[in-house]
Amino acid sequence: MEDPMAAIRETFFQECEEQLAELEAGLIAMENGTAEVETVNAVFRAVHSMKGGAGIFSLDALVRFAHVFETALDKVRSGDLAATPPVLAVFLRAADVLADLVRAAREGGSVDETRTAALVEEFNHINDAGANAPPVPPAPAAAPPPETTDGLFEDAPQPPVWKIVFTPRPELYAKANETALLLRELSRLGEMRVTLDAAHLPDLNVLDPEGAYLTWHIELVSDCDESAIQHVFEFVEDDCTLEITPPVAPGFAPGTVITGDNGFKFEFFPPAEDEPEAEAAPEARAPDPTTEAPVPAVKEIPVPAAPKSPAVEAMAAKAETAAAVSATIRVDLDRVDRMIDLVGELVINEAMLSQRVMEAGINRASGVAMALEELEHLTREIQDSVMAIRAQPVRSVFQRMPRLVREVAAQTGKQVRLITEGEGTEVDKTVIERIADPLTHMIRNAIDHGLESTEKRLEAGKPAEGTVKLTALHRSGRIVLEVSDDGGGINRARVKQKAIENGLIAPDAQLSEEEIDNLIFLPGFSTAAKVSDISGRGVGMDVVKQSVTALGGRISIASRPGRGSTFTLSLPLTLAVLDGMVISAHGHTLIIPLGAIVETLKPRAQDVFPLDREINVLALRGGYVPMVDVAASLGYCDQFVEPEQSVALLVEGEGGVRAVLLVDAIHGQRQVVIKSLEANYRAVPGIAAATVMGDGRVALILDVDAVVRNARSEAGRVEARADLPALEAN
Amino acid sequence: MTDGLELPPVLDLIAAPGLLEAFVGRRGHELAVNAAAVQRLGAQCLQVLLAARAAWAADGQTLRIENIPDDFSMTLELMGVTSADLAHNAFTDGKELAA
Repeated sequence: MEDPMAAIRETFFQECEEQLAELEAGLIAMENGTAEVETVNAVFRAVHSMKGGAGIFSLDALVRFAHVFETALDKVRSGDLAATPPVLAVFLRAADVLADLVRAAREGGSVDETRTAALVEEFNHINDAGANAPPVPPAPAAAPPPETTDGLFEDAPQPPVWKIVFTPRPELYAKANETALLLRELSRLGEMRVTLDAAHLPDLNVLDPEGAYLTWHIELVSDCDESAIQHVFEFVEDDCTLEITPPVAPGFAPGTVITGDNGFKFEFFPPAEDEPEAEAAPEARAPDPTTEAPVPAVKEIPVPAAPKSPAVEAMAAKAETAAAVSATIRVDLDRVDRMIDLVGELVINEAMLSQRVMEAGINRASGVAMALEELEHLTREIQDSVMAIRAQPVRSVFQRMPRLVREVAAQTGKQVRLITEGEGTEVDKTVIERIADPLTHMIRNAIDHGLESTEKRLEAGKPAEGTVKLTALHRSGRIVLEVSDDGGGINRARVKQKAIENGLIAPDAQLSEEEIDNLIFLPGFSTAAKVSDISGRGVGMDVVKQSVTALGGRISIASRPGRGSTFTLSLPLTLAVLDGMVISAHGHTLIIPLGAIVETLKPRAQDVFPLDREINVLALRGGYVPMVDVAASLGYCDQFVEPEQSVALLVEGEGGVRAVLLVDAIHGQRQVVIKSLEANYRAVPGIAAATVMGDGRVALILDVDAVVRNARSEAGRVEARADLPALEAN
Repeated sequence: MTDGLELPPVLDLIAAPGLLEAFVGRRGHELAVNAAAVQRLGAQCLQVLLAARAAWAADGQTLRIENIPDDFSMTLELMGVTSADLAHNAFTDGKELAA
């Protein structure tokens, strides 16, 4: 059976991720000056919640760090500390450390202790500075101290004593909250005396182990305000009875000793040495002056429980509203994936049924055919709805980037501002998970190679702070992600020179600007004079391209000298379905992704030029495009088809690289459900995946980029041999 | 005859039913509870320990809590209890039902 605590722990970490994202977003809003009053509260709550949860799981390092962070945030919230840029810089770095601590707690491993310790030190300075700020007026009324029986502390200032009565309900424990942790949290606010009331504890034989029978009476000696106490109980207030009585007359000693019906009593007061009769006369007990706050002993004066403050009422109301509005549930991703798979099967079955109906010669106007059409619409709608369940905003990826920018900026000594747009753009979760790495590298690259140094920027009349912009938007059924910088742009002369030096192109090759820009995606290409830790040896952009290609995406560059560069990623919205062109090659049915097809054409004999026995190029609008016989390239046949006997599909691979695919016939276009070939069979070169057609047969989905890449390398080889001009990309 | 009971390291809400069962099954006998392994104590197990102490006191039986780790003591203290509140000596404390 699954360990319930493990499940709760996992939920805690999921919530931590959300809270870290909220923390980061809030701090950035504060930094940008777009924060509202509620933003500061949200930031505080995020850290506070993580601390509370971490305490339950005894994640001490996390609790300790969150506590110092929270203390500083609380000072900002209460107006004792100004959120100046230096303070916010510390907060942002602290958010990074907190994220590291959460990750270390979740996955094991360690964090940079030195960095954590340094930040704690900075927080201590900040908190001290906050403490030196003009104090807020004390909340309790300055009532004269009451007459005392011993007169020892008549003139001593009396710290305010809060009285708190806390009675958990069973739900509090069922939600994995724990009294001991709440009390520990409360004890951080000041000196505390706890009295346990076990009056309602039943006999052992009838005790419900999951019940809640105890009440705690707490006397807290603290200058804190009521909200600080309420915050300790913030997440349990619906699951307990809580009474907080403000200090009305400072200095009253507690006199309550709770005696249970079953004859035993509990006290937390350390026994006063000078009060041997304490047991006999507990009402008059005095606290130990050596350990307790100097409060005079008096008879217990009943203090009526204060009604819940408006703040508490408001919070309770807010919690209720939130519960009503937030109609979301957490669902295990496996379940959603399973559902998507099943809907995929439904789509296939529906297609098969349609085909059977057609084969049976049933009239299209018949009731069966019409009902089938309705079923088709419904199936498509179900599929869209199910896909929408797994769609997520790219925010989760975008939110990782500010930290990256800070770190890379610090490493490179550059001043960088990150602007993000379109965080709410939704895309399938399977795609989101795989765009983080390419984006990370592109942003590193934009800062490390794209942006100039501060000196150079100032020389060029630009602001010292460089800008990197990350944008997401939907376009033509795909998600487009752009990373742009306002740096120097691609130095094409240098890029070309480097490519020649590395033997990637012929010294006299005539390349368009676009082709030169695309050279940076070649394996092993690097223009950085000095290899840096940040972007590595230029392998990154190659890897970026590969991973984007593997996702069925495209990447392109637009660069203007002195003005900066923009890298554009275009990705499918989902990896579950694909719009494809159904074609046949040597009797085999294949699917070619529609997104890759630029146009279809019928080649004319006079436009086809043989380069050698195996390679033909097609003259197309002033350029030459290599031709690929799909059947031959996949090994279906040895004989090459005559180009003029075939149908040609002009396809575009990554970076605008084009080729013409020759096939026997086009049978139409349709949406297909992608089935992984690797998972169900094994990887096949030139094939991206498979699908099941309406007739029940498996059709392979062509990996256009792999086929084009092969064609280009073949053509490149021949080109070098024939010393032909470079192939035009357009 | 003195029965023995070893407390598990984690006395949280999940451990409470088992702990209750362990005490109920040993009722009527002098009991020595070994707390040496306890690392964490939650309020629901504390309820069981307190109810057990009351039951043993009512029965006039001795209930000892032995080898209390410091962390355990501190948590008890935080919750307003001392380790002495969990034990009952039938000889010195007598039967408490009538108290």
